[in-house]
Amino acid sequence: MILWISASIGLLVAATILFLIRRDKLHVRHGVFWLFVALAFAGLGFAPSFVDWLAKLLGVGYPPVLAIVAIIAVLVIKILLMDIDQARLEVQQQRLIQRLAILEGNLQRRNKNDDHSSAP
Amino acid sequence: MTARASCPPKVGVVIPALNEADAIGRVISALRLRCNYPVVVIDDCSEDDTVQIATEAGAQVLPLAARLGAWGATQTGIRYFLQQNFDIVVSLDADGQHEPESLPELLKPVLHGDADVAIGTCPERVSRLRLVAWMMMKTTSGLRMEDITSGFRVYNRRAMQQLADPRATLFDYQDVGVLLRLQAAKLTLLDVPVQMQERCGGSSRIFHSWLVVGRYMLQTLVLGLSKRKLGRPMESKT
Repeated sequence: MILWISASIGLLVAATILFLIRRDKLHVRHGVFWLFVALAFAGLGFAPSFVDWLAKLLGVGYPPVLAIVAIIAVLVIKILLMDIDQARLEVQQQRLIQRLAILEGNLQRRNKNDDHSSAP
Repeated sequence: MTARASCPPKVGVVIPALNEADAIGRVISALRLRCNYPVVVIDDCSEDDTVQIATEAGAQVLPLAARLGAWGATQTGIRYFLQQNFDIVVSLDADGQHEPESLPELLKPVLHGDADVAIGTCPERVSRLRLVAWMMMKTTSGLRMEDITSGFRVYNRRAMQQLADPRATLFDYQDVGVLLRLQAAKLTLLDVPVQMQERCGGSSRIFHSWLVVGRYMLQTLVLGLSKRKLGRPMESKT
């Protein structure tokens, strides 16, 4: 039963991802990752024997642990990538704020020069 | 020799400021009394009269649209002067700790080409606890400067170019990260002993809460460790 639930959740998440991309609520770059995750969930639900086979191959005694560890690893990598992306955005934002201040400074200088040149 | 090389170098002063209404006017007046370098105050979203007082004292004020921290503000000033083809930038704190009288002494090695960066040092000003913090920072980063947190510095054009780079944008403070970047670029850093005063009014951005101090120390130690030059320890002249 749990496998059917897992498969259903996977399919539901996949459909939601496609819907969010369609409505421009999610960048396709991020959507692709989540779509893969959702499809992997669904795939595991429909083919539970795959985890058993892989666990046996890797020598893991209790197959569900392998699935949980794999999911945690994927999520940790995703969170790390999100932090890297956030750092990039932070640099861009700070540079923009600085540029705005620099432009304001240039404008102040220009206005001052204009005032001096127009003074009698 | 180019025409530019024969001209006297253009020197600008950058003062990052956050709620420094108590001291900023005095700092700018003292500076203008001793030199006629253009003074630019980068206002880090102050909520008091810092902007008004700084403007009245004769500085140009560049307001930041969002708070960037001490280093973000200083980098703005460096980028501003770099854009205007300045050769040298002086950075100093807005809280009155740094004596404008020491400026000629600090400028000398950079003007004479003996150093790319001159750091005003005054280890006597700090508590024992802060000295321990410095020792930890120096151990992890491999830096050998006397006063690694001093904001009283002189940068030449090469140093300005290094520090204006986007890769220097994510630093929060003008200490370990900035110094390691300058050393990685093989620039010469020089410690210059100067006099410093107690801050006049306002409060330190770091040393006002143990929680902030703890976070600052952790971040700085990790930054120093991750950017540390591998191999022999870094050297600085005095």
